[in-house]
Amino acid sequence: MKQIGWIEKWTLRFAVVALIFLAMTGFEGILMRTQMAAPEALTGFERTLNAVRIIDHEPTQAELFYAMMTAHPIVGIYGFAYMAVMGAFYFLVPYLLKKEVRHKKLVPVNFWLQTGGVLLCWLSGFFGLFNSLYTLYWPLPVSFDRVPLIGTIPFTVGAAVIMVNILLFSFNIFSTVLSKSNPQSYTVWQFLRAAFGISRLMKWLGKEDKNAPNLDYNGLPVFIVAVARGSIDTVINAVVLLTAGALILVYGIAALLGHPLNPMAVDALVYKNWFWWGLDMVADGNVLIYTAGVWYLLIPLLTGRKLFGESVVRTVIMVDLLVSMGVWSHHLLSDQVQPFWMRLLSGQIITWGEFFTMGLTVFASLITVWKARPVKFTPPLIFVLGSIFGFIIGGAAGLTQANLGLNVILHNTQWVIMTHAHTMLLTGLSSLLFAVIYALVPMLTGKEIRSRALTLAHFWFWMVGSVLMTYVMGMAGSQGMLRRMLYPQPNPYQTYLNVAWVGGILMAVGFLAFLVNIIATLGWEAVLSLVVERKRPAEATA
Amino acid sequence: MEREERIWLGVLVVVFLLVNAITLSPLVPWQRWILWDRPTPQAQFRIEFEDYEIRLPPEGIQVKAGEFVEFIATSKDVTYGFGVFREDGKMLFQMQVVPGYENRIVWRFDEPGTYDIRSTEYSGPRHPEMFVADAIQVLP
Repeated sequence: MKQIGWIEKWTLRFAVVALIFLAMTGFEGILMRTQMAAPEALTGFERTLNAVRIIDHEPTQAELFYAMMTAHPIVGIYGFAYMAVMGAFYFLVPYLLKKEVRHKKLVPVNFWLQTGGVLLCWLSGFFGLFNSLYTLYWPLPVSFDRVPLIGTIPFTVGAAVIMVNILLFSFNIFSTVLSKSNPQSYTVWQFLRAAFGISRLMKWLGKEDKNAPNLDYNGLPVFIVAVARGSIDTVINAVVLLTAGALILVYGIAALLGHPLNPMAVDALVYKNWFWWGLDMVADGNVLIYTAGVWYLLIPLLTGRKLFGESVVRTVIMVDLLVSMGVWSHHLLSDQVQPFWMRLLSGQIITWGEFFTMGLTVFASLITVWKARPVKFTPPLIFVLGSIFGFIIGGAAGLTQANLGLNVILHNTQWVIMTHAHTMLLTGLSSLLFAVIYALVPMLTGKEIRSRALTLAHFWFWMVGSVLMTYVMGMAGSQGMLRRMLYPQPNPYQTYLNVAWVGGILMAVGFLAFLVNIIATLGWEAVLSLVVERKRPAEATA
Repeated sequence: MEREERIWLGVLVVVFLLVNAITLSPLVPWQRWILWDRPTPQAQFRIEFEDYEIRLPPEGIQVKAGEFVEFIATSKDVTYGFGVFREDGKMLFQMQVVPGYENRIVWRFDEPGTYDIRSTEYSGPRHPEMFVADAIQVLP
């Protein structure tokens, strides 16, 4: 293996920890699925763990289930996905701009803060039984008769660490991008003008805004444009969640000091709008924009053909950013107290904006591959195509529920969380992150992926497993099975649960094939050297 | 924009118009009264949610098939969900019950029978207990 550089090593470290978090969240998923199918199956296991839990009573199966359900998405999104994105961007952004990361000291800071924040949130669920779920609907997280205070405070601190860290990461990415795109330094206002297309509009009107960074024509690579625009959503998400966390923390500390505050002082509907507006900047914002950026980067790289319709996709990225600002009401379609015009416009019509942006993104990606025929189906290209498939079917399921009429019978069913959300996350996003790892490993280390058979095993087990799991649960949802629900036995949806469990196991097999392949490619020594620095010969003898 | 992209964009526009026009139209049965006709309900039922309990009107809920009725759900503590399910477990309709508000939905039951009510939103670890069997009787 070639001598790898400092940033390459950090990228691999981010990737290793991201994969550990993926394994953790996958294990949690299998435990929850087991508990749903057989609620008493984990009793012995849990009894042992209760000995180390800092709570004053024997927890019920439901408390344990919902605490795990709360930790599960934090580990999956902010542990796995964000860690992988941070590692990849810290390598790719400077690589494409031919310039070093602007603030190198922030790279290890980001690594440790993200790892620590995610672990603190996880521990708050595991030991403190924080069970408010990621939705944190007001005033549940401050209803301390339902959600233990001992779990609430560390969870909000962990979440705050994650959000502050994401802001630091975004700052570093923006600094790196903007310091390259022009010798002048840009103000935030100038960048925002360019990101939201105002400078482009001015050019169209004959008044070119030469002071703004060029995001729409020539200039920066498309991937960098996607990173820059997507990171606006990332920042908004972090700021909004930080405010929600701070509010919960204030209530928690007041309760701890014996002066509980009135939860009804905060309007539950206004909070829900604010929270979903910010949270959706991930689900319907940066995930889609970053994904588009990675497709635009990898597909030309892997097929050797210029991206089809590059000027259009730059516009699409801008429209995606604008659309992401206005779609949050699709999470409130069942809130009859939400103004009707907001549910119709934001919840349904503007949400369909994603149909156009993702539709054009997928088209540009696939037609580039098509025009590049014959192409070599390398491991990253296989997974890129798998991720496109995942986003198509997961996106279609999402549009089905983001509908005033159909949401009446789909809201909060398994359809929403599995057929839409988990298809997007597992078949779509995870496949894309696997593609990035398969592409980066040879770039960073100079070694080709060891086994094609293991790559194909990874691909098929993962794809079949994830589609089987999510779609069979979607069928259960169409039969009335709710999400966030631990049904008493006999569970009327037992058959669906059993099949979904098989799907989960297939994914686990695929993931193991991937790990074996990566370790076989890099070698144990190289993987371990990412964690433990190898001493130089002189140091060793000393 | 290249020719292929223009054609594809045209396809996307057609799909957008078709799907939205159909799903917002009276072809989806409940859109007739939720979106278009807005009929005056012939009966109203108040359901209160508090401390993991679903409190129905003391006289129960009896409606006639084909009649428009309004459900008004309120919560005194956290967010719940008001979901009505058929005997076979399939969901008929639901809405969120946001505390501090009167959450209203108008419905028309077409088929006589008994219907269950279940909270469709997580409200704490005892959420699965929030189920009332045979809560609504729909008479022919």
